[in-house]
Amino acid sequence: MQERPRIGLVGAGGIVSLHAPNLVAFGDVTVFAHEGAGELAAQHGMDIVTSLDELIAASDVVLIATPTHTHHEIARRVLAAGVPVIAEKPLARTSAQSAELVDLARRAGVPLFPAHVVRYFPAYAELRRAVESGRLGELAVLRFSRSSAYPAGAEWYGAEELSGGIILDQMIHDLDQARWLAGEVESVFAQATRRSQGDPVHAAHVLLRHASGAISSCAGVWGPHHLEFTTGFSVAGSRGRLEYSSSRETELSFDLAPVATDGGHLPALSAAVDPYALEVADFLQSLRTGSTPRVTAEDGHEAVRIAEAAVLSARTGQLVRLSETGVAR
Amino acid sequence: MTVKVGVLSLAHVHAASYVDILARIADVEVRVADPDGEGLGAPDRGRAGIESLGAADGGSYDELFAWQPDAVIITSENSRHRELVERAADAGADILCEKPLATERADAHAIRDAVSRSGVRFATAYPVRFATSFRQLVGIRDSGALGEIVAVRGENNGKLPSSRDWFTDPVLAGGGALFDHVVHVADLLDVLLDSPPVSVAAVTNGILHRDRADVETGGLVLVEYADGVIASIDCSWSLPDTAPRWGGVWLHVLATGGTADIDFFDAAVRGVDGATGSAVELSIGENVDEALLTAFLDMVRGDEHPPLPDLDAGLRSLSIVFAAQESARTGRRVAVAL
Repeated sequence: MQERPRIGLVGAGGIVSLHAPNLVAFGDVTVFAHEGAGELAAQHGMDIVTSLDELIAASDVVLIATPTHTHHEIARRVLAAGVPVIAEKPLARTSAQSAELVDLARRAGVPLFPAHVVRYFPAYAELRRAVESGRLGELAVLRFSRSSAYPAGAEWYGAEELSGGIILDQMIHDLDQARWLAGEVESVFAQATRRSQGDPVHAAHVLLRHASGAISSCAGVWGPHHLEFTTGFSVAGSRGRLEYSSSRETELSFDLAPVATDGGHLPALSAAVDPYALEVADFLQSLRTGSTPRVTAEDGHEAVRIAEAAVLSARTGQLVRLSETGVAR
Repeated sequence: MTVKVGVLSLAHVHAASYVDILARIADVEVRVADPDGEGLGAPDRGRAGIESLGAADGGSYDELFAWQPDAVIITSENSRHRELVERAADAGADILCEKPLATERADAHAIRDAVSRSGVRFATAYPVRFATSFRQLVGIRDSGALGEIVAVRGENNGKLPSSRDWFTDPVLAGGGALFDHVVHVADLLDVLLDSPPVSVAAVTNGILHRDRADVETGGLVLVEYADGVIASIDCSWSLPDTAPRWGGVWLHVLATGGTADIDFFDAAVRGVDGATGSAVELSIGENVDEALLTAFLDMVRGDEHPPLPDLDAGLRSLSIVFAAQESARTGRRVAVAL
């Protein structure tokens, strides 16, 4: 692949605001979107095409940043054309779809990269290094939380049939973290609730039992509009415990007369280490050199499977065993 | 009026703290009985333990009750609460009982029956709800600023209890981290929420301190309340023995109006030990045990007092533990019942 690849971008909303500056730095970008392509292209210096086929023909790699329920169909077409894919998380709306994409990519020999960006956030990357080095010993109890304002800008987030709801859309980051650190998940207990008077508020709690014997707890919140984006973890093993809270690790604090603010549903980023740049760079490097990126297509599928089991458990209230649900590969 | 208080057993580590606090409260006469601690050879049990606390020796339980205490504080092993509650109820003494109240449902029922039959006043030793930060949170709730509570996360993590072996004895303690730690968070939720718990799911493991404990040392619990509020509790003994503090209690409330968080016991002077490089935390937090005892003694005297965690509150939070234990064992979500 070229030093400056031709990057195709599908979608121009939401998360694209975080990808766009990186994509134009890494390559020559063409965008295809039903809405907002003109403005985005003008702002960042991208070409515009008006169909997916044109985009595929003009791209060495395609980043899919559309609503979740459309990932499968778009990714299928791009992979079938032999073009590598970066798919925003979740990889697909259902585990049947994600399994099909993984198989398709493997059969066609085309790389597929699910953008589990939290693996590139400094605190989480550091945690993973500590776990791999044995610093925490045998992992026992892992706890993750993630909280933000409800994503009010796009209606599809709140529609479970389109996004999968908070567990598949938001908590999937922490489900992926739990599996990345403590290994395969055997069973899931979940509960979820929501309020719709005033600002929508959604919350979900998920417990995981890993094959290793470790147990994990993930908590996700979409809250009122002023809620800041915060994440945290606490991971305890036989040799120690590591904790992180994004709200504590801020260098700037201030005391000003209060003004009304919106919390937003995307994290604040440090310009020095932009995880959205790191994840794309990691995948582009794998295309150039054959290295293995930090996230594999199978990781993306497994995260969807765990989330799907959690959604089922939240509905039934009962334990869901991964061996008895979803589409395994 | 001078109140006669009997402290029954030094088995629980809190007994020493209670005796210490009682010595500072005016118009209280204290006697301590620890017959089961006699002959254990432990310097902090039995007559030696009572002497080291500088407390008056109440002798056997028979002798202590013959002294006709107005109130007793029960700080025995969890499984021995029932017999002491029954004796105190028969003797007409008001009761402050350590948590969790019982290790078996039958014992919990017997405690409920003994207390209601005798009409003695009863409080469960849940001191965390007396923390100023928690009373402030309740005030914020009452002001309406929180709106409607939607979901709560709570953690009570600590070191493996090591100064008393029975904390990790499944018979004497009832279990491990589930029995030791779930109830504190459950009691905070009991105060904060308007509706009762209806179902519980839990997972546990014994990876931490595997060589020293045969009970669960890691535990994660989900609770659903009747009005749809959900709660997630981490009760693990997941602080390393070498941590600069014993552990803590944390509460994270999500409501329609926003969020509120408490890090109980966090107030400290912090630094580093020059010789070892270890973190130093010198706790400066308030003594919530003292607030609990003061409220209890005010109740015993018939004076005005802040609301105490009563028998029903103790039993409601205990019922969450029983359900959690069953869920961890069966892999089913379990209905809360006593």
